[in-house]
Amino acid sequence: MNPNRFLPLMVVAMLGLACGPGRAEPLKIGYSDWPGWVAWEIGIQKGWFKEEGVEVDFQWFDYVPSMDAYVSGKIDAVGMTNGDALVTGATGKPSVAFLLNDFSNGNDMVVAAPGIETLADLKGKKVGLEEGFVPHLLLLSGLEKAGISADSVTVVNTPTNETPQVMASKAVDAISAWQPSSGQALKAVPGSKPIFTSADAPGIIYDLMYVSPESLEKRRADWMKVVKVWYRIADYIRDEKNLDDVLKILSARVKVTPEEYEPFLKGTYILTLEEVIKHWGQSDDLKTIIGSSKKVDDFNVKFGVYDKPQDLAKYLDPSLTLELAKEKGIAP
Amino acid sequence: MRPLASLFKGWFLIRRDLSSSRRLFLTAVSFILPLALWCFVSYVDWIWHPDIKLQLSSEREGNSTVFTAGDHISPGYYQEMVVATRAENTRLLASTPPPKSSKRANQKLLRQLAPVAISHDWLPYTEAQNDAVIYHLWRDIATGTKVPTDPALTPENLDIVKQNWAQLAPLAADFSLASLPETPLLKLIPQGLPANPVYLPAPHEVWRSGWRDFKATPPEGELSMTQRYQHSLRVILLGFFWACVIGVPIGILCGVFDFFSKLFEPFVDFFRYMPAPTFSTLLVAVLLAGDAPKIALVFIGTVFQMILVVSKTTRLLDPSLLEAAQTLGASPRQMLTRVVIPGILPNLYNDLRILLGWAWTWLVIAELIGVKSGLTEFIETQGRFRNFDRVFPVIILIGVTGFVTDQILSWLHGIIFPWTGRGNPIAQAFLRFLFWPFRQLSKLSDRAGTPT
Repeated sequence: MNPNRFLPLMVVAMLGLACGPGRAEPLKIGYSDWPGWVAWEIGIQKGWFKEEGVEVDFQWFDYVPSMDAYVSGKIDAVGMTNGDALVTGATGKPSVAFLLNDFSNGNDMVVAAPGIETLADLKGKKVGLEEGFVPHLLLLSGLEKAGISADSVTVVNTPTNETPQVMASKAVDAISAWQPSSGQALKAVPGSKPIFTSADAPGIIYDLMYVSPESLEKRRADWMKVVKVWYRIADYIRDEKNLDDVLKILSARVKVTPEEYEPFLKGTYILTLEEVIKHWGQSDDLKTIIGSSKKVDDFNVKFGVYDKPQDLAKYLDPSLTLELAKEKGIAP
Repeated sequence: MRPLASLFKGWFLIRRDLSSSRRLFLTAVSFILPLALWCFVSYVDWIWHPDIKLQLSSEREGNSTVFTAGDHISPGYYQEMVVATRAENTRLLASTPPPKSSKRANQKLLRQLAPVAISHDWLPYTEAQNDAVIYHLWRDIATGTKVPTDPALTPENLDIVKQNWAQLAPLAADFSLASLPETPLLKLIPQGLPANPVYLPAPHEVWRSGWRDFKATPPEGELSMTQRYQHSLRVILLGFFWACVIGVPIGILCGVFDFFSKLFEPFVDFFRYMPAPTFSTLLVAVLLAGDAPKIALVFIGTVFQMILVVSKTTRLLDPSLLEAAQTLGASPRQMLTRVVIPGILPNLYNDLRILLGWAWTWLVIAELIGVKSGLTEFIETQGRFRNFDRVFPVIILIGVTGFVTDQILSWLHGIIFPWTGRGNPIAQAFLRFLFWPFRQLSKLSDRAGTPT
């Protein structure tokens, strides 16, 4: 008789809709399809995190959404390139790198349709890439190197994962992306070729693990364990005997075949603990992470990605890596 | 003579139903026709088939793009590949002393035969790196113990297999990386067949990929197909459930009381024109990533339609029923619970059945927002890699699920609401069977009550 009887029911229903369970405490780490980060999969699948005694929750994302997830506080740490970390820091939320995974050694590519042989041929053409992020940086630094003005190409904003389809649809003449997307683009348009890659400017793109400063401070011991697992992974990958196993694990994560994956590994230079120390050092060129970051920072300011130069030292904390090196008797 | 002629008669009757056997026949044809068309386009070689689908691939020097068996390429590019590979082999045979090569390169070269082994079931498809088996396959093909038929090797490739095996046989009987030669082996020449574009795979390819995907055990940390399916069903059903919980009561109230009709319906009418996906980023911001925003999207997409449809159904209730109840002295509450609700139930059931179909249309968008999930995530990833033979089974699965659910629900309508007279013979028989004990009981009690 009285319609008010239905109201409490509705209120209960609304509450039920909004409720979700809230349980936490493993380290929440976002990772995406870059080979240097897919490599974490080896540690996950072989149970090395458990052996080390650290609870981790690796969450798989597309690259840009992974950074969004970091900014919104959904995850504690995320794999980013040094350039994108600066962009994320300047526009969203600061972060600090405690682990240097690798540098891009050819996996980041500007892929051009058949008939376009060099960057100079790109004048007046359309290039599909994700604006303001690392593929953009790659294209612009390539153009700068070749002495071509950045205005002479038209950039079409395209999510990196979509670049192969966009390239195949002939809506653009070239794309800029990393593996596996760049490889997919090469396959989608047979006869297309890379006209500029990170191997032409090694050190322009470093790939690191960035964590929120607060989580690093609170749970330093746990992050130290993550570093230990990483160098176990790096040694495993760098041992040629394991190549097939590595390819199998990594390729399965991004759903390509091991044969197709093999070139990606070559385009990613995974750094061992011995090698990484000099990259944490000081220099003005691309050989160190600080030098590379300086270049990228200048670049970002120049092209208006953000306004003010960033305090680069704040983004880097090599102390965990150096501590592990000391422990293992590798002098810093 | 006569019966045959009558077969062709009487198919086109204006505004009259066909016989039930003919209706059944046409229903079957409506499914067979598109299937037949699909088979026709796929299996008749001279129709379309603009691409070459590789059955056997080879890596070429100085080309970092890896094509594998199953990839589609243009005939022109296929020719380029064949010519380049032949040229490499000729160069190799001509050079003295033979160039050095890594054992790894030879190991990969041997794996060129893996797709042949897989298509003959000599090797499970997950074991393309099983060098021991592949090594023996080279032996068996070279000696003629095994003859591949699908795909059959070209005489040229058979010859290459024999030449390579002649090099390998003296070195080791079983595979070991260390005993592979240090000089390069000959490369198999790519083989391929004309095929339709990658977005139109043949029926048997779709069937095979679907079967594989649904049986496969996924790597740790990833969901199996069944789990994905359950997840998608959960999102739809929960979204629909909450829409019913909110939408049905409001709809009935709006249909019965003009007060609620004027209070709710104008806003609902306005709100339903805002497409549900426009709220997706908002929902993720409020409810965070996870299932909640997805369920909420299905809810928003369904509930407003539901309120309007239910209120309309309620209004259509025969007013004479209400008048009769009033005359018999029913209170307003009794009118609602004893007259209105039972009265609209059969139509309400039908409304909800149609709205459930409506909810399904939001599935794909719902699963894309926030963290991608369920069947849609699979469609997305595989579509991105142009593995459309793996996408179609999932699309078909969604279609079949919707269709079968709807058919079952529609059939149940006859059972639950027999008085609407829409039950089919099977449903009525089922119903008779179900109520047989009660009928017997009532007969017994009748007999007991009758004085003799």
